[in-house]
Amino acid sequence: MSAVIDVPQRFDDWSFEQFAAAFAKADGAAKVIVDAHACEWISPLGLVGLLAAGQALHERTGARPLLTVPADREVAHFFARTGFFREAQELFEIHGTVPRVKAGASKVLLEVTPVRGAEDVHAVVHHIQERSAEILTNQLGLDPKATMGFGMALSEACQNIVEHAGTGGWVSVQAYTWRRLGKRVVVIAVADAGVGFRHTLEPTQAGRFGERWGDGAALEAALLQSVSRFRDPGRGQGLAGIRRYLGRWQGKLSIRSGTARIAIVPPWDQDVPLAEGLAPFPGAQVQLVIPAEAQEAR
Amino acid sequence: MITEIDVSGVLSRTLCEFHNDLVTRPTGRAVRTSIEAELSGVRGVNVVVLDFSSVRLIDCSCADEIVAKLVAGSLEPGSPAGETFFLIRGLAEHHVEQIDEVLQRQQLALVAVLDGALRLLGRVTDGARAAFERLVLLGSAAAEELAAELAWSADETRAVLDELAGRRLVVREAGRYLPPTSAA
Repeated sequence: MSAVIDVPQRFDDWSFEQFAAAFAKADGAAKVIVDAHACEWISPLGLVGLLAAGQALHERTGARPLLTVPADREVAHFFARTGFFREAQELFEIHGTVPRVKAGASKVLLEVTPVRGAEDVHAVVHHIQERSAEILTNQLGLDPKATMGFGMALSEACQNIVEHAGTGGWVSVQAYTWRRLGKRVVVIAVADAGVGFRHTLEPTQAGRFGERWGDGAALEAALLQSVSRFRDPGRGQGLAGIRRYLGRWQGKLSIRSGTARIAIVPPWDQDVPLAEGLAPFPGAQVQLVIPAEAQEAR
Repeated sequence: MITEIDVSGVLSRTLCEFHNDLVTRPTGRAVRTSIEAELSGVRGVNVVVLDFSSVRLIDCSCADEIVAKLVAGSLEPGSPAGETFFLIRGLAEHHVEQIDEVLQRQQLALVAVLDGALRLLGRVTDGARAAFERLVLLGSAAAEELAAELAWSADETRAVLDELAGRRLVVREAGRYLPPTSAA
């Protein structure tokens, strides 16, 4: 049996649920086609989410799923410029013409980058601080103080994969106009197809939550109570650090894992703080959104 | 005795000479282990100055692995390093927040040089902070002298100073109390 997972026409955090539902429906299929031919726009979360799906399908079926390249030439070029196909070719059997892009043609803040160990996190943070600090400050009007915190938040988001996923993942950083806000934003998206928050925290937290235990409770414990699977009292501070940073710059944080999604929602957005009972999707997907020209909240 | 440690230098020697960002737990562990090795031969009262001047970024994980664990280790009974007082300097504004938070989380504190003045970072009571700040102004004081300055009772003041001394935030020497810089 084969199944088709349609990539939404506009693939961002809102349409991610549509993609996750199609992914869940494909469970059990021996052959899976991830169809991106109609895709017209994709966010960093969409890019890294696609890769996480590819990894999970590859592991589940033992075969590389098919991926169709977007039909629109400009969209396909954009996928290529983000570095997506470089990573995707390991996970998918790609159908369609993959555009060639010149080295250095990418203008994204950080191309889709694999994160497998601490050295990858160092490289990612170094890249942002060396090459993108000027863009963040001068072109996006981000306060220089916010740029330093940006590196910290990026580091902690990536470390979440290294420390907890049990597998590798990807990070992507881009700046673009956020339609719901009507202004430019900087977006960090991190995704993996690992074990997820519930599995990670279950040995130490499930008993405390009793019948309430599940993906939503695990996300609450990690994000709101800063708990960790380690006994070390210094653990569990990474997400708290990201929360503090985003709170100061009116940013948004959302984490999806398993069948739940939790968000710290700023006044400019209308997302729900916690959504449960979603279609199951492997690993964890984290998105940080920082509005351009953000003024420090006092 | 005073020992000065350039934290960025330790990072360069330990991991990579091209990076000056203190990020990730493994990096923090490696830097801390290197600092502990450097301090292993030191005995008696020792003021250790951790200099962050050349550090660009520090994240919560690395701050916890380096600063919080060094401070916590120095407070363990029977610590082989003797009486170690950690002092931190060269902090940028964005460093202060990370370090303060990781100390707060574990009810730890240490002395920092911020804008040329000695300040306490981490978790301390308002009374202990007030006593420390007045002691810094005086340079050194017996409990009775500080009590008069603060209009507190001598017993209350001595209790606060002893608590600060127990947490290695002030030095107790011949019946007087002084900030670690004065002791060095």
